[in-house]
This record gives sequence, C-alpha cells and structure tokens, in this order.
Amino acid sequence: MEIVAAERLTFHYPDAALPALDEISLSVGKGEFVVLCGASGSGKTTLLRHFKRELAPVGAVSGSIRYDGMPLADLPEGRAAEEIGFVFQHPESQIVMDTVWHELAFAMENRGYPVVVMRQRLAELASFFGLEPLMQRSVHELSGGQTQLVNLASVLMLQPRLLLLDEPTSQLDPVAAREFVHLLRRLNEEFGVTVVASEHRLDDILPLADRLIVMENGRIAHDGPPGAVCRRIWAAGDAQKRLYIPSVTRLLAQLEEAGADAESSGLSHAPLPLTVREAVAALDRLADGRAASDAPEDPADDEARWPEAAGEGAGRPSSAHRPAVRAAPPPAEALTVRELTFRFERQLPDVLRGLDLRVYHGELLAILGGNGAGKSTLLQLVAGLRKPQRGKVAVAAGRRLGYLAQNPMLYFSSDTVQDEFSRAAAHAGFRGDAAETEIAYWSEAFELGDLADRHPHDLSGGQQQKLALALVLLARPDILCIDEPTKGLDPVAKEAFAARLASLRERGMTIVMVTHDAEFAARHADRCALLYDGCIAAAAEPRLFFGGNYFYTTAVNRAVRHRYPDAVTTEEVLRRWASEANGS
Amino acid sequence: MNVGGFGGLHPLVCFVYYAGVMLLGLMLSHPIYQLAAIALLAVLLLLQRQGRQLARTLPYYLLVGGLFAVVNPLLSHRGRHILFYFRDQPITLEAVLYGVMTMMAILTILLMFVSYRVVMTTDKFMFLFSAILPQTALHVWMTLRFIPLFARRFQQIELIQRARGIDMRAGGPVRRLRNGALLLRILLTWSLEDAMRTGDSMKARGYGTARRTAYYPYRMDRRDRLMLALLGALLLLALAGWWKGWGLLTLYPRMEPIRLAPWEWVHFAISALFVGMPILIEARERYRWRSSQPNV
Repeated sequence: MEIVAAERLTFHYPDAALPALDEISLSVGKGEFVVLCGASGSGKTTLLRHFKRELAPVGAVSGSIRYDGMPLADLPEGRAAEEIGFVFQHPESQIVMDTVWHELAFAMENRGYPVVVMRQRLAELASFFGLEPLMQRSVHELSGGQTQLVNLASVLMLQPRLLLLDEPTSQLDPVAAREFVHLLRRLNEEFGVTVVASEHRLDDILPLADRLIVMENGRIAHDGPPGAVCRRIWAAGDAQKRLYIPSVTRLLAQLEEAGADAESSGLSHAPLPLTVREAVAALDRLADGRAASDAPEDPADDEARWPEAAGEGAGRPSSAHRPAVRAAPPPAEALTVRELTFRFERQLPDVLRGLDLRVYHGELLAILGGNGAGKSTLLQLVAGLRKPQRGKVAVAAGRRLGYLAQNPMLYFSSDTVQDEFSRAAAHAGFRGDAAETEIAYWSEAFELGDLADRHPHDLSGGQQQKLALALVLLARPDILCIDEPTKGLDPVAKEAFAARLASLRERGMTIVMVTHDAEFAARHADRCALLYDGCIAAAAEPRLFFGGNYFYTTAVNRAVRHRYPDAVTTEEVLRRWASEANGS
Repeated sequence: MNVGGFGGLHPLVCFVYYAGVMLLGLMLSHPIYQLAAIALLAVLLLLQRQGRQLARTLPYYLLVGGLFAVVNPLLSHRGRHILFYFRDQPITLEAVLYGVMTMMAILTILLMFVSYRVVMTTDKFMFLFSAILPQTALHVWMTLRFIPLFARRFQQIELIQRARGIDMRAGGPVRRLRNGALLLRILLTWSLEDAMRTGDSMKARGYGTARRTAYYPYRMDRRDRLMLALLGALLLLALAGWWKGWGLLTLYPRMEPIRLAPWEWVHFAISALFVGMPILIEARERYRWRSSQPNV
C-alpha cells in the first residue's frame, strides 16, 4: 500500500540547464521509514518539497505525483495541510510565535480547530514529547534541539499521516540529534506515521530506517534496505560515496575487504552491520575467521595496502602530520589563557570560571563540551571579541588571531563576493596591486573565482563557509579560531574542509576549533579539550582523550573497545588489525 | 508565570478592573477619593511584591505629577481664596488644589500601570485582542516577536563585524553612521532570508487554509464570572454616582466644601471597594496560605 509516489518526475528550476530531478520514479509505502541521502544539490530537498504541495518549487515540472491513490494536485486543501507534515532544517527560522505553547497551537489555529480540541491535543502531545516544563517558556530560550522538537510537535498537532523532514538534525548537536531521530522512530512505530527524512549524517538514523535512497544529480542511484545499500555503495568503490556510510559500517567493510583479499572470494553480499552492537558481533566473526585461516601475510604487502584503504577522499590519514616526537622538547606556546572568568551580565552566573588553557604552536586543538557549556563564548574571548571580567589571554609576540564564527551569514556585508574580498583586503591593510594579488590568490585557492559576481547569500552552505574562511585568512592570521566548522556540511564537504585545514597547518597555522563532532576531532585534532563547568576538565591527545571515555567517544571506539581500548579512528583500528595479522 | 492572587483571574476580569480604575481615576476628581485610590493602589503594589519597583520609580512619578501641582497655580490665578502673592501674582487656593488634583489623577494612572504590567502580560492582552480580531492579532504577535529577535541578531552581527573593521563605536560621526547603516543592512538581509523560511513553515502548517481560531490557556470559571459581575456592578454604581455629581469637587466659580455629603460617603465606599477589590483577593489568598500551614 503506497502513500505517496512519484512517476517519471522531472523538474527544472527556471534558467537551469540541468534538471534538478531527472525522471524520478519512487513509491513510498504506508508506514515506511525512508532516509534520503546524497550530496548537497543532488535533489533531496527538491524531491521532498514536491511531496508537500504548498512548498513545491517554481519551475517546469513533468511527470506525476500521487498521494493515497489520487493525484496530489486533487487533494483538498485541508487534507493537504493536515495529512502531510513538513519539518525544515533550521530550527529557529521555523518558529512563528514567541512562547512554546503558542507555537504548538499555531498549526491548529490556522486550521480553525475549536478550543476544546486544541486543548486536548496540546495536552496529549506535550506529555508525549515531555514538553510540559517548557510550555510557558519563550522560544528563544530553548536550545536548538528543543526548538526542533517544538517544530516537530507543532506539525504533529494536525496528526499527519506522512511526515517529510529536510535535514532535520543537521543543525543539532549529536546528543540532541540522536534523541530527535529516535523520536521519529517512535512516531513511526507507535503511530504508523510514514517518515521520509533527508540526512547527511547517517550514523544515528540508518539503523532505524527501513529503506535508504541515495540520490545523485537528480536521479535515484540506490534504493533498498540500508544494510544492502551500504554494501552496494561500498562495492561500487567510489571514495566520495563511501563517506556517506556510517563509520562503524565503513570500518567493517574495510576489515572485511582486507580479509577477503587473501581468499579472493567475497562473502560480500550480506548486508553490512549498521549499529555498534552488530559491528561488535561482525568483528568477532572476522577475528575468528582470521584465526582459523591463519594465513601469515607479507608485511611489505601490508605497507602498500593500508594507506590505500585508509585514504578517504582527502588523501593521507591525519596521523601523518601529528608530531611524532611530542615528548622530546616542550613545544612553544602560541597562546596562553590564564584564569579566564566571564559572565554576560552582572546578575547572571559565571559562564567561565578561572579557565586555564595552553595552545601550542602548529597544533590543532579541538574544544568539545555539552550544549551551553560556553564553548563559543570561550572562543570569542580567545579571539578578543569579548572582554573577560578576570584573567588574561596572552598571544605569543608577533602572532595574529583570526576568528571564524559558526554562522557565515554574520560575515557578509556586501552584494558580491568580489566586494566582500575588497573590503576584507582593505581592512587587512592591502592597497592597490597587493590587494589584487591577495584576492586572486585566495579566490583561486578556495575555488571562488567563478563566483565573484554572485551574492554571498546565494552560495551554498559549503561555499559560504569557504568564502568566510578566505576572508579571515586574507588578513594572514597565525592562529585561527573556528566555531563549529562541520555543522550542516555533507561528508564530502567535511572531508574537503579537513584537507583545507591540513594544508593550512603545513604552512604553520595554529588552529583552535570548537566542535561537537567527536569523529572529526578524533581524526584531525592533535589534542582535545573538554569544557565543563566553566573550566577545562580534561585535555589530551585524541586516543587518550576518547579512549578513556565510555559515552563521549567515537562510534568506532565503541565498536572495538574490547579489542583495542584506545583506538578511536578507523585508520588506527586498521593498523592494529594488520599488525596483529602479521604477528600471528 | 505567577498565577496567584488577582493575576490568577481571567484576563477579561483583570482588564475590566484596570479599565475601570483608569476611568474612575480620570473622572472622579475629589482629593479624598484620589487619596484613597492612591493609598489602595500602593497597598496592592506592595502585596504584588512591587515595593522595590515602586520605590525606584516613585520619585520620577512625583516629579512629573509635581510639575502640574507647581505650574498650575503659577499660570492660573482664578479663585477667591488668595493664599499669597508670588512676584505680584496672586496664588489662589483653587489653583493650588486644581494642580494637586491633576497630580493625583496622574499618579493614580501611573500606579495603575505598574500593577497592570505585572498582571496583564502581553499574552493576556493579546488573548482579549485576538478574540475580536484573530488575524490582526497574529500579525501583531509576529511583529512583537521581531523586536527582541532583531536586537539579539544585531548584537551578534556587531560582535563579529567589529573584528572585520565595521564598528559603530569608533571613528568620526560619518564613519560611525556609515558603519551603522552597513550593520543594519546585514541584519535586514539576514532577516529577510529568515522570514522566507518562516513563510514556508507557516504555509506548511496550513496558514490561510481556514478561518483562524485562537487558542489560549484561559478559562472563565465560576469565580471569574462572579468577580466580573461584582466589579461590573460596582463600576456602574460608581459611574452613576458621578453622573449625579458625587465624587467631584467643584472649584469654580465657587469652591464647595471639601467634606463629603452623607450619600456621597456611600458612593465613596463603593468606589473604594472597586479600587480595593484586588487587595481583598490577595489578602484572602495570603490568609488561606497561612492558615493552611501547620503551626510551627
């Protein structure tokens, strides 16, 4: 029984040469939980918007869309509004009213429900979502995760049968994202709501989904059960596509591939494991198989293979540029933070309480911490944007700071990318030819040359971030402070960003990065620091930092902790696995 | 939201009360009535824990009101009872009294608004408003939300752009102005883009597909209806008395004695009861709390 279906759906945006959707045929069954993935611009959002009539983009359409057995166009207005719900990417932008209860009632008010009905549904959903303590709160006091929860609840007030979500967790921290995704599963299981969600980060959502659809250039590239689709993507061998696969799944695929090489046959038709639990079991099976076959390998052969297997789009594994001899000479400090104390207003409690932090030359320091722990505030203090009440931020002599905020929209003050560059060059003190050379250099390095005449707001999220970073780098800083750079980026863009950071570091840049992304920090940082209760609670290199944690660690580490307790990245596990194989 | 005491009543009841106090405060101009009203409102504010707020703002209120009390006798010299001469100008008792009464009327209104702000939150006012005009009320709501939202965004933009050399607080006036305009432009571009997304979110939730209703978590219960009837009756009686000329101190052409006539005392009691009604409610609730606590 299908609830919504597209047949040979083709869509062109006005003035676009290539179709955004190209002959899409797709049928979603009642009660299915479907995940849509694909690079930015692959047509995920366009497809989702076509399923919600009120949001269908303007352009040339051909083909048809059916909803519940009738053409979507014939669906009465009221049913269309109630039965098909849509949740967007940005939590704050969706909010219309100012208090939580009012926002929740908004959709029902629009549909003209009597007060009795509204009160009943509000009571019911507030308790299901656990929103009672928040009902009277102003919407802007909520965290991103709570706001997105309110958005979802407000849509559910109309009791939709089909729920469409456009990257609903991309702006949330990992804990909130996981909670949100599990709530979706509950809605799907307990109420039979059909869910179609597009997502970049599949680690959390994929184990819960019935079906994974991978889009590519407006077409459906893969469609099927998640484990099987992951297997097919892996088998296809495209390094960029492989990045979409959850990290534990990728790990197992790589280990399996390594083992299968020897036997040259493939057990590679079974679905890949998606959860840590399945991965632990699969790992044990692989280890047993290896012990049984007991085929000693040539170490030279290994040397050639492993870097290849670990290379994921961006090139070499990050451990390559970690200083190998860390213990020998104490590295010079680029930046020292002493007893930093800060609060926003006199009556409010301290955000930071006597915080001490050292940043060494040339290192990448990742600062992690919970929601509202004050990570962004710390970074703004370090970058000199705010003044502390007490304490000091000492920058090594002759070093300059650059700061990149979380929201690149805050940067753009001009109508074109070119103007933006000129302004930044002028502020950095470049005149005439020098300015021209600098601008040419950075727009070349960041592939922004073709976009010179575009409005900064018309760029994609990844491009906006590149531009903002280029503008900061134009002033030639030695220490770069970056706030949540990987938020909302698709895996390919994230990998490209990691490569960019690596090339900056080769030129001696020191980087302080605030992030929620444990995977990213584990792979690319030299040291990780945990901000808790206004202080740095722990600071160590990633394998010590994450290896000791039970919850706050990477999925890979959780899968292999009984075997290699301090292996936190795929590369590390692969190396250990290989050396074990050689040793045996 | 503290829903205890007078603020716990239905918004309509509260609104009728404040509207009534404002009406009576403006219409009943008699020093005894006015003194009573000011005293009652002050007690109400203390019960509503606004003592500190009152102490902080009272000097300004007195200054504003006092201005009338001082300026009026200097400008107006009507009246028969000349108190003294100030620079050859007669200062009359009538003019002084008139000024003082104006001052007290203003004080009554100002004190009423202090209490109004505590009890009638925007929520409650908009509830009453949207019962009449649901569509307009929605637009007002959205606009009201934008003001603090823009302020917060502007702070963020200022923080980031200062590091890029766009600073409203440095340089000459022209430069400041130019930078300020630039910051505003960033705010507008950002907000317009955001508003487009908000528009999508409204469309997705059925905006404009039916006649809007308004949901509010307030219900008119028995106590609210009783209180509304009581306040309504008292207000009507007080207004009827005003119609008969009670509660007014005639100053011109001939000043009447300041003492109240016997029937006027009844009218005074009714008016005072109206103004003091919230005090009774607050006091009753406090007594209930105290008597329900075990004696320690």
